Amino acid sequence: MSTADLRYPRQALWADYGRAGIGAVLCGLPLLLIDVNRWIASLLLAGFLLFVAFFLRTALRQRTRYMLGPDTLCADGPAGTLVEWSRLDRMKLSYFSTKRDRSDGWMQLSVGSAGGRTVKVDSALEGFYDIVERAARAAETGGLELSVATRANLRSMGISVAGQEETA
Amino acid sequence: MLNYVVRRLLLMIPTLFVISLLVYVIIDLPPGDCVTSQIDELLSRGDPDALNRAEELRHLYGLDQPLMARYFNWLFGVLRWDFGLSCQDTVPVRDLIGERLALTMVMESCTIIFIWTVSFVIGVYAATHQYQLGDYVASFIGFIGLAVPNFLLALVLLYVGKVYFGLSIGGLMDPEYIDKPLSWTKFTSISQHLIIPVIVIGTSGTAGMIRRLRANLLDELQKQYVTTGRAKGLPPLRLLIKYPLRHAINPFVADIGHLLPEVISGSVIVSVVLSLPTTGPMLLGALKTQDVNLAATFLLFVAVLTVVGMLVSDLLLAALDPRIRFGATSEK
Repeated sequence: MSTADLRYPRQALWADYGRAGIGAVLCGLPLLLIDVNRWIASLLLAGFLLFVAFFLRTALRQRTRYMLGPDTLCADGPAGTLVEWSRLDRMKLSYFSTKRDRSDGWMQLSVGSAGGRTVKVDSALEGFYDIVERAARAAETGGLELSVATRANLRSMGISVAGQEETA
Repeated sequence: MLNYVVRRLLLMIPTLFVISLLVYVIIDLPPGDCVTSQIDELLSRGDPDALNRAEELRHLYGLDQPLMARYFNWLFGVLRWDFGLSCQDTVPVRDLIGERLALTMVMESCTIIFIWTVSFVIGVYAATHQYQLGDYVASFIGFIGLAVPNFLLALVLLYVGKVYFGLSIGGLMDPEYIDKPLSWTKFTSISQHLIIPVIVIGTSGTAGMIRRLRANLLDELQKQYVTTGRAKGLPPLRLLIKYPLRHAINPFVADIGHLLPEVISGSVIVSVVLSLPTTGPMLLGALKTQDVNLAATFLLFVAVLTVVGMLVSDLLLAALDPRIRFGATSEK
């Protein structure tokens, strides 16, 4: 297996920049233009800071490339880290949706190996399925116990982990 | 999770804007305005200056401006914690709602805690003792709670309290503490008076929750993994807490968002019946007199509580159980 160079697509990044911008304007503009009550101002400021943090995270994603290899997942960027599949000690696959019927959502994979920082990638990332599949194989090999939610989400992607089939 | 919070917040802001706009426009839709009834009263007294007075009052309340101008004035005022003038007694809305809003929040919080605590205990008991005497009693209480309107229960308790126990149940504190600053004795008085309204308002919510928790927990208890756990000799309590209960409380968490508006809207008539100094009776009066600023402010608070409740429940659910729903497609 060769090393794959994966990045977030431009379209997804611009959509996130758009969200951060709209949110920052909606929260920041009243603070600049109106003499806002201090309690409401603190709420708006918290919202503004959250959207700024989201903007920074998107910028970080834009500058990070993920290299999926047979032995490691390397996040090469300003806050880069390395996950060694043979030492994988945490894995969580979550599903988020803003719709009430929980459709049209996105997955988020968090993986980390002993001594290293956790890498979080969203399903918008090119090659997301390959990373999840590799992480699942590593969890299977290392006997890592996965949560019920992670197992259910893996199953929905057509990936099963031997020894941890859902019995519920 | 950051992505999720950002997307939910971005949905929240326009939702609140649209709700506030709709509320403001709908309250203003019926013919006439809050000055009309005041002028009718002046005309019936034979006041020759009534029509001039009407123009003065309309100018004072800003009713001579177009609807959209009034709406945006009110909306920008909300950000400054200035909700405009109320037509009732021509006082700022901010001064009218202060203590009532605080008392309402105390009462609704106690009601929600009551609903959760009681329904959790009874729901779990009913599910783990299916078709036994305790289950039948819990189901009976549940059906009664669902079937009896809150205001009727309030009337019955008022009657029983007065006739059989000589107690005055109405109000949220003893008369001597009204308009007095908060003190330990006032706090004690409020706590004592809270019991009946909390039970009355919380009964229907409790009944619904008991039914839902019982049904969910029964579903989980009949699954194969529970049987496996029993066969392997897991202690019953540990088996119950470890998985089935965790899965069964998801609807509990999801209900936070719905519970808040349900409790608030359900308490309006009960507040009138029990003479509670909460926002309910004042909102009713404001809607009847087309006091747009006052009514829109109350309804905006309800909308904010609902949307925040939904956000909290969605965040808790996302943290507790971030599973894809079967049938929904995942992105690859």
